[in-house]
Amino acid sequence: MISIEFLVTIATLAFVFAMAAQLLNLEAAWGGMWDLGIAGLIGVGAYSYVLLTSSPDAAVPGAGLSWPLGMLGAGLITAAVAALIGWPALRLRGEYFLITTFAFAEILRQIIIIRRDITGGTFGLTSIVKPFESQFTIDGYPYVRLGLTVLLTVIVWMVCSRIATSSYGASLRAARDNEPLAMAMGKRINVLRLSTYATVGLMCGLFVGPAYSWILGALVPSVFSSHLTFTLWAGLVIGGLGSRFGPIVGALLLTGASELVRLVHVPDQFADLHAAAHPALVGVLLIAVLRWRPDGLLTESGTFARLRRRHSRPDTARATPVSTPTVPRIAHEPSA
Amino acid sequence: MNNLLFGLLTGSMLAVATSGFALLRNTERFLHIAHGQFMALGALLAVALGETFGLPVGIALAVLITSAVAVACGKLLFDPVKHRGANVLLFTSVGLAFVVYAAMIALFGTDLRVFTVELGAARPIGPFDVAPGEIVILLVAVVVIGGLWLLLGRTGIGRDIRAVASNRELAQIRGVAINRVSMTVWAVAGALAAIAGIMTAVLSSVSTESGWGYILLVLAAAVLGGTGNILGVIAAALVLGIVMDMSSLVIDTAYRPIVAFGILIGVLLIRPQGLFSFQSRKEAAA
Repeated sequence: MISIEFLVTIATLAFVFAMAAQLLNLEAAWGGMWDLGIAGLIGVGAYSYVLLTSSPDAAVPGAGLSWPLGMLGAGLITAAVAALIGWPALRLRGEYFLITTFAFAEILRQIIIIRRDITGGTFGLTSIVKPFESQFTIDGYPYVRLGLTVLLTVIVWMVCSRIATSSYGASLRAARDNEPLAMAMGKRINVLRLSTYATVGLMCGLFVGPAYSWILGALVPSVFSSHLTFTLWAGLVIGGLGSRFGPIVGALLLTGASELVRLVHVPDQFADLHAAAHPALVGVLLIAVLRWRPDGLLTESGTFARLRRRHSRPDTARATPVSTPTVPRIAHEPSA
Repeated sequence: MNNLLFGLLTGSMLAVATSGFALLRNTERFLHIAHGQFMALGALLAVALGETFGLPVGIALAVLITSAVAVACGKLLFDPVKHRGANVLLFTSVGLAFVVYAAMIALFGTDLRVFTVELGAARPIGPFDVAPGEIVILLVAVVVIGGLWLLLGRTGIGRDIRAVASNRELAQIRGVAINRVSMTVWAVAGALAAIAGIMTAVLSSVSTESGWGYILLVLAAAVLGGTGNILGVIAAALVLGIVMDMSSLVIDTAYRPIVAFGILIGVLLIRPQGLFSFQSRKEAAA
């Protein structure tokens, strides 16, 4: 039977992915930085959060901070790591940036595996501090966690929307579309891109990493492999690159569909087939969307057309109502 | 000195895999992320078919099947979206990687597989301790890459492939059969992936998870060599393999992949056009 707790957990996971997909959207779709290393940043965020918050006498000693301080610390650490990666990587363009970030994410994961004295290695970290856990019963807590994750998703959405509608976001998109022109307009593109990458790192550490660690029973390095990156990318591409709601819709759809497949009960001899359903679904969806709806379900032009209408100048807005009454009258006269 | 030999083996495997990847990168103009999955597919097929038909037939069948699957994927999945540019092709390839991965889990399960083949007892030759099987693997790599070299340099279709790689539009205008070139390239790349996968599996083991690790090394070697010429890719793959295995003399073996990616990042920053490429790479130069 499908238990309601299980559905709540799936929803929580879907919202964590929605958060991450939005950040990917910010840097890749608007910033033009095709990043295959976001799993590494999320990993740094999650590990720093858990290590900052777990108690000093745990199996792998932590710093024993409270959870808000842990989140803040994780955000700052991840932002610093992102800036460090971004500084050399952003000197490269297109597919070379993509390969470099891919390599960096793999290096970060290998370091987590090797330095088992600090990170717990492949055994992982199991003492994860979750906010308000002691105030609620075990049955009630998943709902609280879902609420918190949705709240964080809304915060990330607001930040991303603010960036998208600001002149900063416009410069970012200008640099993506026509770099020489944007430079000629006096935009400092390197600073712009590096600050965006660091912002993505900050939010990965501040929100995505901790929220992800709350729903994982244990933090192990295999969670943060290229698998996670590609799943997030699949969600983003399905939802629509460059749209504000696209990444949320895509991530929720993808996670919902692929996790619900696991609920189907199958006899043991089909266990392999069942395990294959999840990656197969991700792959087929990705190929099909790219083939028949390459802009995704929601599009960038759609998002920014709506925004332009809302932010269009008052005089043009006033001009429209003046001209409209004439149209029906002319149309009306011949029939009369 | 045995580390040098292991490095040479790793490097030759990597060279076979990366030359297929580079071929696709040059003619179809995208990064084929699913290449690693095809390597794992070839190796797993060879193990499974080798158990029923005997090893030589199994390996031959595995290479043929992988090559056929690659051609089919190229025709059915990549050709229809080719006009949308490299990024759509790249993510279609990511999707394909997931599908192939799923197919491998469904067909073979998630257990580690090994070939039932003995490399033979190692005997000292010069400063190395070489097993006969390892010499065979090196010879296979030499023959395969030599064959690729002859195909590209000495045959009509090879000339067509080089023409498409250097200027697709011009080649089309001059009457090169683009579709035939694309089919040949997919077939060759699939076969090379399968051979490289089988070589790795004979030296160690293979599982359905292996593909994700392979593609990272292939990307590293391709960028290091500069995908422009096959010789550069081969040299880079050998350098990468040797440096990775020699580094375990100085530092812990666990740092092996980190060394590989450290070199990759260093090269990207100092020489974005690749170690062995003397053309400037326009897309890399900002």
